[in-house]
Amino acid sequence: MAARTGASNLVSTSSKAEGLIDPVSLMRLRSMELRAKVIVEGFCKGIHRSPYHGFSVEFTEYRQYTSGDDPRYIDWRVYARSDRFYIKKFEDETNLRCHLLIDHSRSMGYGSAGYSKSQYGGTLAATLAYFLFTQGDAVGLATFDDRIRQYLPPRNRPGYLRRLMLALEACPEGTATDLGPPLQQIAGMLTKRGLIVLISDLLTSIDRLERDLGYLCAGGHDVVVFNVLDMAELNFDFSSPALFQDIETGRNMYVDPSEAQTPYKRMLDKHLAKTKSVCQNLGIDYHLFATDRPFDLALFDFLQHRMRRRKRVRYIPTGRDSRRTV
Amino acid sequence: MSFLYPLFLAGITAVGLPIILHMIRRHTRKRVTFSSLMFLRTTLPRFKNRSRLENLPLLALRCASLILLAFGFSRPFFWRPAPESQAHLGRRIVLLIDTSASMRRAGMWTQAISEARSVLADVSQADRVCVMSFSQSPQTLIGFEEWTELDPSQRASVVSEHISKLSPGWASTDLGRALVAAAEAIEDDEVNDGQESMAVRQVVLIGDMQQGSSFEALSTYEWPEGLELVVKLIRCQDPTNASLQLVTNPPDSIGGRLAGPDGNDLTGIRITNSPDATREFFSLNWAESLTSGGADVYVPAGHSIVVRIPTPKDRLAGGKLILTGDDHDFDNALYLAPHLQQHVNILYIGSDDANDSGGMLYYVRRAFGATRAFNPRVISHPAGESLADTAIATAHLIIVAADGIQQAPLISLRQYLESGGTVLLVMKSADAATTVAGLAGIETIESEEADVDRYAMLGQIELKHPLLACFREPRFGDFTQIHFWKYRRLNIANLPGASVLAWFDSGDPEGGGRNDPAWFESRVGKGTLLVLTSGWHPSDSQLALSSKFVPLLYSILEYGGVLSEQPLQYFVGDHVSVPHSVRLESANFKVRKPDDSLISLDAGQQSFTQTDLPGIYAIESSAGAARPAPSGVEGSEFAINLPVKESQTAVMQIEDLERLGVSLENLKTEDRGQKTAIRPLSSVLRPLSSVLRPPSSVGRTGLEYEQKVWRWVFIALLAVSLIEIWLAGKKGGPQRTQSSQR
Repeated sequence: MAARTGASNLVSTSSKAEGLIDPVSLMRLRSMELRAKVIVEGFCKGIHRSPYHGFSVEFTEYRQYTSGDDPRYIDWRVYARSDRFYIKKFEDETNLRCHLLIDHSRSMGYGSAGYSKSQYGGTLAATLAYFLFTQGDAVGLATFDDRIRQYLPPRNRPGYLRRLMLALEACPEGTATDLGPPLQQIAGMLTKRGLIVLISDLLTSIDRLERDLGYLCAGGHDVVVFNVLDMAELNFDFSSPALFQDIETGRNMYVDPSEAQTPYKRMLDKHLAKTKSVCQNLGIDYHLFATDRPFDLALFDFLQHRMRRRKRVRYIPTGRDSRRTV
Repeated sequence: MSFLYPLFLAGITAVGLPIILHMIRRHTRKRVTFSSLMFLRTTLPRFKNRSRLENLPLLALRCASLILLAFGFSRPFFWRPAPESQAHLGRRIVLLIDTSASMRRAGMWTQAISEARSVLADVSQADRVCVMSFSQSPQTLIGFEEWTELDPSQRASVVSEHISKLSPGWASTDLGRALVAAAEAIEDDEVNDGQESMAVRQVVLIGDMQQGSSFEALSTYEWPEGLELVVKLIRCQDPTNASLQLVTNPPDSIGGRLAGPDGNDLTGIRITNSPDATREFFSLNWAESLTSGGADVYVPAGHSIVVRIPTPKDRLAGGKLILTGDDHDFDNALYLAPHLQQHVNILYIGSDDANDSGGMLYYVRRAFGATRAFNPRVISHPAGESLADTAIATAHLIIVAADGIQQAPLISLRQYLESGGTVLLVMKSADAATTVAGLAGIETIESEEADVDRYAMLGQIELKHPLLACFREPRFGDFTQIHFWKYRRLNIANLPGASVLAWFDSGDPEGGGRNDPAWFESRVGKGTLLVLTSGWHPSDSQLALSSKFVPLLYSILEYGGVLSEQPLQYFVGDHVSVPHSVRLESANFKVRKPDDSLISLDAGQQSFTQTDLPGIYAIESSAGAARPAPSGVEGSEFAINLPVKESQTAVMQIEDLERLGVSLENLKTEDRGQKTAIRPLSSVLRPLSSVLRPPSSVGRTGLEYEQKVWRWVFIALLAVSLIEIWLAGKKGGPQRTQSSQR
């Protein structure tokens, strides 16, 4: 029941999103980078008035050199200025390494609002990437369907954002949605802990979903899931009977929406509730997004998640000051 | 309008399918692509009212396609009654009765006779009938003319009497030859009769249609149009039939027998079981010792295995193997006889020592070695001694290598030549010319020792001559390696009927000189005198040391008709070559058949043809006492067995005859081969259509064949299909939407 209520609330979010950027209008911008810039800059103007001012996801610490420290980490520029030995500590560790995992299966190509779920998810990812990149965080990207299609490791170099944007503009070409192999592969590739943002419609069986997301959580990563669904998928408000064809399998099914809508929505709500439950059990931050939801809110949700995480204390085994906040 | 296969019209009911599809289709035209059907369940389509059917032209075209398809397959034709002028005409029928060995199976011959009589009972007075029996070859019992000459009221009884005298023989089945003979008999009768063609021409075949039947003759014969073959299949209730066959002899065995590990001879026998057999265990024994010395054999249906059965010592000369355990015993006996090893006597007249490698006899003895089929014996006789007439008479080849022959032997040799013998005369010196002249029947012949400059070679060889045919291939025809140190110049201009086979290269090309003959032949009476003007011993030439010597001697034997190819096994109907020694005095010999009847051989008879019974045949002297070994022949017996194909008694695919152009009619379904082949639908439905046709439906097939209405039907079908495709394309394919429906 809670899930059904959630889905119903989500449908009506567009009407409440006053003062925010309409996704339909935003999608008319062809450049992914420009879209991200508009969203982030608009959002940043807003946060001057917001209570979350001063939020940052990374910092650098210097510590005076003491006997026993590795001399390789001595910052010689500081020594030149101050004639003191300081160690540039945790510079690498404190940088956020964010992986954006974008589902490019064929079902993500579906869209009823003039743009597809893939385009919406891509813009969402671009927004997050732009935001993190401007903060100096390293952002990587992986697109997948039933296997990894392209992978860009997390970097924060001039021009790297451009590469990310180009990669995000690629159209989905995959077939089936199978999160298992690509997520397992990505989890194996990530040796350092970081933030993983998964953008997918999660139209797969719950049992497999729990197993697949478990691959990411097992590595100790901080995982955020954006479940992107089209409004037609959420409401199933088709008017007349038709032969429905599965975009991934090509299977045909004769469906009369007047008869099928109620059971469809009941099954969908059940699926979404289970998905949310699975994510909660795994400690994953789960957000359901309809494709008409403004991106500002997505960014807001993301930062709210980071705030919650900020309050947590993580134990870092290396270094003298082993207790710090992230 | 009538239909040849009316059951196909049932296919018209399939028009309901497009009607139903058109009613459903309205709901399924719109397609919506959706991300996932995992939350959807299919909804049963709701049908529209019949009055709301859409695309009626398309529906009509599709229904018309199906109707035309069923219509075409039912083979329609327009009924045309036969002209009254033909109504009174009778039929022209050839009744073919199978008398092959396979008809000896239990109860089959009785069925065949009964079937033949029932066919004859249906014959009307206007019909013309010819009765033939066939096995390996067809035989006419009653011809069309004889039938006509018979009193119509007596025809049935006379023919029935002829048929009652028939009995199945032991020969194989040549079905093709019999069918061709029957078809030709009908065509000949039509020509001889001079009357207008009868409406119906039929060949009624009564037989077991066994798989072993041969019908190769049909492949070279065009079956007459309108001539129908009616098969009256005689079936056997007991299908198991196993047969015996002597295994082809390996090179190191004699007469199909191998030596076993314990020293006993083993005879290789192949046992074949019929494909439709119900029994698979058999027993193989020697006749008269059924309780011991045999072998129990397991042969699955349709398979064959080879067993090696020990041969008792007392049966090495021959015997009879009996197979037990199957349903039919007509092919359960295999007769074995030792192979006829041919003894060839070669009389060498000369003074050479057999162990002197400088002489010619030394090489002759080594050239002729014994083989399985051929046992030559070189008999040396000094030139100066008197020669017995029997020695000459029993010789198959006489080699004269002496300078001078006395008058008496010369006359004997001359008579030997005139009676058809072959004499090879080798001139060791110029004096041998008198022998040549004496044998050729002339007074003198000029001869001298040739003056050879170092050596002579054969300059010209008549390789087209049968004697030298074995050297005709280029790789064998090189005689340049053979040098002749000496030879004798002989003037053969006066020699009547002499033809030179090879010339020396002795002539002077610039002076137009003529080459000297090296080898030549002269016909003397029925025989052949071959003369070599140079010997093969090393002092004369290198001929004996060359690879050409042995083939040349054997070629001389073959040229004289002494050697002939003998098959290892004989079957019923085969022609058995009379051994050469018997052939010379064949009038003095008889052949005792297995039924103890004696067949006299004619003078000079080349082969024995009355092999109509399986069993052991013995060549005996005319005196009556059995001579187990006539002169020159080691084994006087030969075995005749049942042809192997005759044991293949499973019913053949009768459709095979149709593939060869034979028009089959009125064939019951169960009479066709059922087990192995997938039968065409038309052949399945034919008997059903024949049930539906009126009794006077003779020539329905012919009418349909003439009119070929089905072609027009299928052309119409093609046109309708094209219009349907065009119309459907014009209407457009299914609409494909993603969200426009919403």
